Amino acid sequence: MNRRRALATLLAAAAASATGCKKQENAVAGGGGEMLTVAFLPKSKGNAYFVACKKGADEAAKELGIKLLYEGPTEPDPARQNEIVEQWIQRGVDVIAAACENKEGIATALRKAREKGIKVVTYDADTLPDARDFFCNQATPQGIAQALMEESAKAVGGQGEYAIITASLTASNMNEWQKHIAETNAQRFPEMKQIALRPCDDLKDKAFAEATALVNANSNLKLIMAICSPAVPGSAEAVKQAGKTESVKVVGLGLPNENRRYVKEGVTPSVILWNVGDLGYLTIQAAVAVSKGSLKQGDTAFSAGRLGELKIDGSDIVLGKPFVFTKDNIDQFDF
Amino acid sequence: MKIAWKQIVWRPETLLLAVFVAEFVIFAQTGNNFTSTSNLFEIARLSVTIGLLALAMTPVILTGGIDLSVGSLLGLCAVCFGKLWRDFGLPPLLAAVCTLVIGALAGGLNAALITRLRLPPLIVTLGSYSLFRGLAEALTRGVDNFTGFPASFLFLGQGYLFGVIPAQVPIFLAAAIAIWLLVHCTVFGRSYRAIGFSPEGARFAGLPVESRIASVYLLSGVMAAVAALIYVAHVGQAKADAGSGFELLAVTAVVLGGTSIFGGVGTVQGTVLGLGVLAVLRNGLFMSDQPSELANILTGALLLFILAGGVAVEKLSALRARRSAPVPPLSHE
Repeated sequence: MNRRRALATLLAAAAASATGCKKQENAVAGGGGEMLTVAFLPKSKGNAYFVACKKGADEAAKELGIKLLYEGPTEPDPARQNEIVEQWIQRGVDVIAAACENKEGIATALRKAREKGIKVVTYDADTLPDARDFFCNQATPQGIAQALMEESAKAVGGQGEYAIITASLTASNMNEWQKHIAETNAQRFPEMKQIALRPCDDLKDKAFAEATALVNANSNLKLIMAICSPAVPGSAEAVKQAGKTESVKVVGLGLPNENRRYVKEGVTPSVILWNVGDLGYLTIQAAVAVSKGSLKQGDTAFSAGRLGELKIDGSDIVLGKPFVFTKDNIDQFDF
Repeated sequence: MKIAWKQIVWRPETLLLAVFVAEFVIFAQTGNNFTSTSNLFEIARLSVTIGLLALAMTPVILTGGIDLSVGSLLGLCAVCFGKLWRDFGLPPLLAAVCTLVIGALAGGLNAALITRLRLPPLIVTLGSYSLFRGLAEALTRGVDNFTGFPASFLFLGQGYLFGVIPAQVPIFLAAAIAIWLLVHCTVFGRSYRAIGFSPEGARFAGLPVESRIASVYLLSGVMAAVAALIYVAHVGQAKADAGSGFELLAVTAVVLGGTSIFGGVGTVQGTVLGLGVLAVLRNGLFMSDQPSELANILTGALLLFILAGGVAVEKLSALRARRSAPVPPLSHE
């Protein structure tokens, strides 16, 4: 008896809410003065890199007075990214900012979002150009190569032999960097000489073995330039174990957390990467500007809040020069 | 009339239905556009892949078995489909047919090991769970990703009939009706419950227990292949990690829907309802801007609550029955 009444009450409540929410739906569609909603999609949610990105994004969101949604797969998963984008389309957001795990995989979902009038910006890793409005590019190949060469020269006083450890000899982005490294070397640091180029298959152990061999075989070697992230701590560990921390330095492109020890010990005087927080900050600034119409196709510059005026290359907003982590500033970063 | 009502109210599914309704009531208030028609179809769309696995899992669990390999098999079928289409140049339709055959063979392998060698289904499918995933990874060396499928194939997972109904929803409905008819309306399918309730009893009753058990694993394999095709069409890519963890979501939907993990008891409509409760929970929390971790916590809590609730309801009704029954004669003691 009691139970039946309870069930009837529930059903009545359901019916009431079903009619009630129609009203609510209209209100959402009609109301124009709502807070702008930006959905921020990382490649994976718990990755310290993206957590650092989100910090910058939060800062921009607070500054601009918008609502920021943050959701992503727990592990890098393109299928889950699609699902999240599709649900955001249903939920109704103004802008989607995505770091794409798979270029083609997510393009369909992002195009669908654009068809529904949602603006799309990408950051960190781009999708196909027709699936988004702008890409917030963290660094150009020239920028990365120049910073690597400059820091390397600084570490050894502008002269000496160095070796490069790369991920693989076929990685197109790294070959692009090497081209620019060689150019910068020839033009600005003629007394630096590259004597070897070794692949490490993006593995720390392999980088360790390669670096050990390099250090032992070349008594004049002054520096190892590690241009893939596992190679930086791998090379530093090799130099340390070979007992050559006084004569050989390591400079590379990597994450602060992986290299903190070696940076503090002086084996690795500097690690290069972009400021990840700034990337998140720029992404939200761009997302809001695109939504408000103050940033459009064809613009050649964009004023991104505290980052100042940034260059736009085609539809890429370039974050600017890479960031150099040294023992003086590395403790301010956690990723 | 009164008695019929009482029977309906006391069924375990009623509790689930109440939860389902409650979810709607709550999320209609807290979610953005939760009750829009397009979102309701979206919920249906996103639950089709798991739903197909759960539908096929129902007869498996009804016979007292389990199939933990379906998620891995989904991944293997997805990769095979991609390879047949891209590397062997088969047209999508032919590649899809071959994929279904692969699904049937894989299901057949499970069936053979379970019925011929009399190995426990949990162990057999735990083995094939690793085997199928390993094969999928080996075929792609873990990195290959098949993309760029033709639009006519992608329609299966991304298209809309009449502009509103997601293309995969009718497939799910057809599968649900077919399995419901099989399990509840045919002598063949009704034997699943007899087997789950008591395999020895079923054997003494003259049922061909082995071949009936083989049929559920075969069906499960084919269904994993169908789910794989829809999955690939939906996400537009086939990678070796497709479908990881789906097997447990499917089992959750089935058990939530009132099917006993020991076999013998359960319904297909219960599974569909269980699936609905899970899908609405996830979508509703998303629409309410809640983090996805909360969805996992609540899914677990809900499963435990419903299972405990089911036991409580049973105990209560047993107590009532005993009270209303005449006092047993003393000679019983």
